[in-house]
Amino acid sequence: MATRLPLSDVKVLDFMWALAGPGITRSMADYGATVIRIESTQRVDSARTVGPFKDNNTGAEQSALYGNNNAGKLGLSLDLAKPEARAVVLDLVRWADVVCESFSPKAMRAWGFDYESLRAVKPDLIMLSSCLMGQTGPLARFAGFGNLAAALCGFYKLVGWPDRTPSGPFSAYTDYIAPRFGLAALMAALIHRKRTGQGQYIDQAQAESALQFLTLPILDTVASGRKYSPVANDDLEHAPHGVYPAAGEDRWVAIACRTDDHWRALCAAMRQPQLADGPRFSTFAARHEHREELDRVIGEWTRDRTAHETEQMLQASGVPAHTVQNTFDANDDPQLRHRGHFVRVNHSVAGDTFVENSRFKLSRTPAHVNRAAPAVGQDSQYIFEKILGYSADRISELVAGGVLG
Amino acid sequence: MLNGCRVLDLTTERGLMCGQILGDLGGDVIKIEPPGGSAVRSLKPFFADEPGPERSVYWSAYNRNKRGITLDLESADGRDLLRQLAARADFVIESDNPGYLAAHGLGYGDLSAINPALVYVSITPFGQDGPKASYADSDLIVMAASGLLILYGDEDRPPIRMSVPQAYLHACADAAGAALIAYYDRLNTGLGQHVDVAAQESVGLAAQSTLLAATIGGDETRRMAGGVKMGPIRVPLVWPAKDGLVTCVFLFGSALGVFTRKLMNYIYDQGFCDQATRDKDWIAYADMLLTGREPLEEYERAKGVVAAFLRSLTKAESFDLALQHGFLIAPLATIEDVLVNPQFIAREYWQTIEDRELGLTLTYPGPFARFGATPIAYRRRPPRVGEHNREIYIGDLGLSDRELGDLIRKGVI
Repeated sequence: MATRLPLSDVKVLDFMWALAGPGITRSMADYGATVIRIESTQRVDSARTVGPFKDNNTGAEQSALYGNNNAGKLGLSLDLAKPEARAVVLDLVRWADVVCESFSPKAMRAWGFDYESLRAVKPDLIMLSSCLMGQTGPLARFAGFGNLAAALCGFYKLVGWPDRTPSGPFSAYTDYIAPRFGLAALMAALIHRKRTGQGQYIDQAQAESALQFLTLPILDTVASGRKYSPVANDDLEHAPHGVYPAAGEDRWVAIACRTDDHWRALCAAMRQPQLADGPRFSTFAARHEHREELDRVIGEWTRDRTAHETEQMLQASGVPAHTVQNTFDANDDPQLRHRGHFVRVNHSVAGDTFVENSRFKLSRTPAHVNRAAPAVGQDSQYIFEKILGYSADRISELVAGGVLG
Repeated sequence: MLNGCRVLDLTTERGLMCGQILGDLGGDVIKIEPPGGSAVRSLKPFFADEPGPERSVYWSAYNRNKRGITLDLESADGRDLLRQLAARADFVIESDNPGYLAAHGLGYGDLSAINPALVYVSITPFGQDGPKASYADSDLIVMAASGLLILYGDEDRPPIRMSVPQAYLHACADAAGAALIAYYDRLNTGLGQHVDVAAQESVGLAAQSTLLAATIGGDETRRMAGGVKMGPIRVPLVWPAKDGLVTCVFLFGSALGVFTRKLMNYIYDQGFCDQATRDKDWIAYADMLLTGREPLEEYERAKGVVAAFLRSLTKAESFDLALQHGFLIAPLATIEDVLVNPQFIAREYWQTIEDRELGLTLTYPGPFARFGATPIAYRRRPPRVGEHNREIYIGDLGLSDRELGDLIRKGVI
């Protein structure tokens, strides 16, 4: 490794699964942490069963969703129900700086892997528990996926058309908010430990993290009694503001005029300068009032061009516009290419595949993304031998005892 | 945890939440506004629809736990003061267009020359460089570019965004984590660096790795009213209940199919389907559909069974069943419902900050995580324009009363 990475002195024992948890430790691995991901062959990670799949083959090692969330980690398979597994876990806890888990609140206690028990073997341990609703309270036992937390947090009733049943956000929305806060929480705890020597326990409720993104409607509802409901692409400050048809099947371009200048530039690009200063459209208030008519006029202009052409033409005039990108567009997007967004890695079973790069760039210590996610238990031998220093006899015993389940 | 860390928050509306997160974690965050106040203070909505510099809900939402000072970066004196502040700061956070601050002599290169340990965080739509770095943006534009927007909405209408803007919140939350990785590195090396966050890439995480489909030859995921379309399989996530809507996961495979099996057993016991429907191979079901071993019409019929079951129950009844039996069902809540959810109340989640002068009670979502040793505290309401000018300029920088007065007269502060 050319540069010393920021987290190269950080060791993470990762019991998490699905999406909200493993996303945290993926970022830590990007920046140099050694992350051991524990999986059980008895309980397949749900992320392994969701696509997109490499070559559309639905095998457990083909999921790019799993691959993307677990790149750079080491894989250890353990059957936690086996008593011999307990000693292995405790050895790993002694090795680790951070233990993360996303089981339901009672599971870790049942195995004796709750914070108090683990702290007894590692006094300055940092432990993060990530679950839907938190470790305490009447819904602590409500386990599941991010769509459930998104529903309970109010996100579903904020996406949709005013004249229809809410469309809801795509898939498990809170799973894509929680890991960002989980990373900040763990990094803050690591900083605190480095400064004071003190470890600690962190209870992350995915719902409580995700609600940070609804601070505005919560403040407003309580203070002003305003009711929030879906308004499609309408905006309080901007008009025109919408998604317009483009040439091709399911092709669209987004346009957002934030200022009167944007609006005038859009009219000029549409070769309809007379629209700009007419009484129906000259101010935001007028445009907002007549937005249906406005959207129709713009849609008639955009529908014969490709989204890309409209984007280029409008951006050249300084008007906020962008193709509504699908996976193929993203793959060709010059900006994502410039950023090195898609990284080719070699997976031990799936072969050459791709993961997404770190979502942010650190100028002096760039992310190091070059190792695919592990196949189930791929690194068990290495971990026993090199990290835990187990003898060949000990390893054979564990294998014979079926601990690597 | 970040006690004693000084954060200079220069952000526009794009970047406010990053500093708030660092403030929640104990950082000493100074929000720097132009004289007269940040443009964010005039963003709608306003509390009770009454405009005023302290009444923008968006401003209040993402400026707690910050002190506030004013400073005109367009003036040479103002830039000089900022350099003095940066010399003793740990973080600078900014969200101007790439190159704007550098053109004012306040870019990363300029400030790191004064303070090599500085962690300088930039939050922009597309990143610091590249062909789209200077693109005009907005929440909707970033959503479109990220690959997320195409997945939201009904298939017979244009894609739609979430009605409460989200794009920059994803970027801000990433920026906080990234800033702390850089700060952790600094504890080891003594050196800061430039953290470059592109909202386009941050939002992309919420597309659930579907952006990778084209690179690996996988099926494209498409939007669908109240659900997801994965290849030919139409997965509903919004279902009608007797008195409203619920979400329910009716999916397959070795992890999710187990839940479906459990649910179908119960549905059978309640008399909503025959044995053959109950006993379908829910583990292998997706593969059976993809290979044609099971016709898609049969899947549609099975969904009809689940729909009839859910429609026979109120939201509360099906949620109770979910809690009792481990089903993946939850009611779709409104913001009002969220506020009275017994879970958040039992955990004393909601945090209020009284603003007596304005007669406002600000009710915030509580800590994003519960720290055993160093709990997050909401210590300060959002600052007034220039509220802490004296504290910072006289107390910290050591200006005299007279010097501060001169700077105020010149419009620098």
